[in-house]
Amino acid sequence: MQHLHQLYALTKRNVIVRYKHSVLGFLWGFLKPLIYLLIFIVIFSAQFSSVNNYVLYATSGILFWFFFSNITAQGIQSIIGSAGILKSIRIPSLLFPLAEVGSELFNLALALVVYFILMQFFGMVYTFQLLWIIPILLIFTLFTFSITLLLAALNVYLRDVGILWNTIQPAIFYLTPIAYTEELIPARFSFIIKANPIYYFIKLFRAPLYHSTAPDFKLFLLCGSFSVGLLLVSLFIFNRLKNQFITAI
Amino acid sequence: MQALLEYNHVSIRYRENRAGVHSIKDWVTSFKNPFHTIPILHDISFQLMPGESLGILGPNGSGKSTLLRSIGGIIKPASGQIHCRASIAPILALGAGLELELTGFENIQLLLALNGIKPTQTAIQAIQAFSELDDVTLNHTVKCYSTGMLARLAFSISFYHDSDIYIIDEVLAVGDLGFQTKCIARIRELQQVGKSIIFVSHAPDEVAQFCEKALLLDHGKIIAQGPSSTICQQYKAMFL
Repeated sequence: MQHLHQLYALTKRNVIVRYKHSVLGFLWGFLKPLIYLLIFIVIFSAQFSSVNNYVLYATSGILFWFFFSNITAQGIQSIIGSAGILKSIRIPSLLFPLAEVGSELFNLALALVVYFILMQFFGMVYTFQLLWIIPILLIFTLFTFSITLLLAALNVYLRDVGILWNTIQPAIFYLTPIAYTEELIPARFSFIIKANPIYYFIKLFRAPLYHSTAPDFKLFLLCGSFSVGLLLVSLFIFNRLKNQFITAI
Repeated sequence: MQALLEYNHVSIRYRENRAGVHSIKDWVTSFKNPFHTIPILHDISFQLMPGESLGILGPNGSGKSTLLRSIGGIIKPASGQIHCRASIAPILALGAGLELELTGFENIQLLLALNGIKPTQTAIQAIQAFSELDDVTLNHTVKCYSTGMLARLAFSISFYHDSDIYIIDEVLAVGDLGFQTKCIARIRELQQVGKSIIFVSHAPDEVAQFCEKALLLDHGKIIAQGPSSTICQQYKAMFL
């Protein structure tokens, strides 16, 4: 119970600190995806005139990509960045990456509201299937949190991990069919896409958001169990590493 | 009577990255584990009884801060046992736990919440009153504060906690005369109601003034413990 209060306090701190000195503040939560969206429209939409509602197609990928990329990028620094607190207060170090998840969920919720209204002009159909976003987001959050835990723990000891992750993130982005359709990839390279877990999550999100259908239930279960499995592995590794955090930050 | 805090042959080790830079390259090219274990505290044993005050003396780098952090439960010992039957106020020495990008008020709220205290208006007002920092100052981000102001804020938050043991680390070194007097009065007050104080200072006379017992650390070992007046003499003798 006390940990919940601590988590809430840290999440609130993240939200405050992030936009403290910016004029637009919260607006950045959905301006950032919007800027990407505009870039894609300019570069790709003529290319993909065959794709129905390209704006909706790209948006349904971008929003969740940013959720993943923001949490991992901030979460990776969350433990070394909180050295002061960790050295003075007895608090589980797990709460720091978790608070990043909390503040990004808050941001995503705001962005989703805006885009839900906006997307009616780009062909989104409002059906009860949209409620699928909640369980899909739940397992995607588990997946994102697991990756963040692993990266954050390793980054305490080897700061290369953080630099490396920031460097390869754009590559992961372009290897996920977010701005383009998967048909674009030649069959002999499709294994690269298929090896990328984020591809499957985006696919799940697109079912209710873009196709207005329920997601493939088998794929949903598969992604769900993969996320839970990954979380257990991450927690195990994190717990092995956490005792020496204080001496390395 | 049972001791509030008991250390039995406690040793603490740090894992240090000898490679200097924390990088994979060094790890791979050196073909060996870059992490070395360095002992910080060695075979530490002492007791703190309820209502007793303990002074900790020692030259820079002798392991005082590590000892304090292990008392606070932040660092786990590599061997030996720590028995703690008391609640301990957080160690916010010289403002280390403060978030520089937040304002003074936001920091009070954050640190209270992180320590499991509801940040009510009364709590915030009490802390502000003790720190003597005005509304304008507390609405500024903490990164603009002077060392003295940071210490004022941190100690005011620390003192607000109702704990059995208070850890006081170098408070009298940075505050101005007014704040020093106030802290001394507060320490006396806490002692009178039967709280325990762990007092760290480089001024042996202060330790002798507040604590009946003291221990002297050097290179991670307790080289002497006993009545504070004797220990303070010994500490002074180290620098002669």
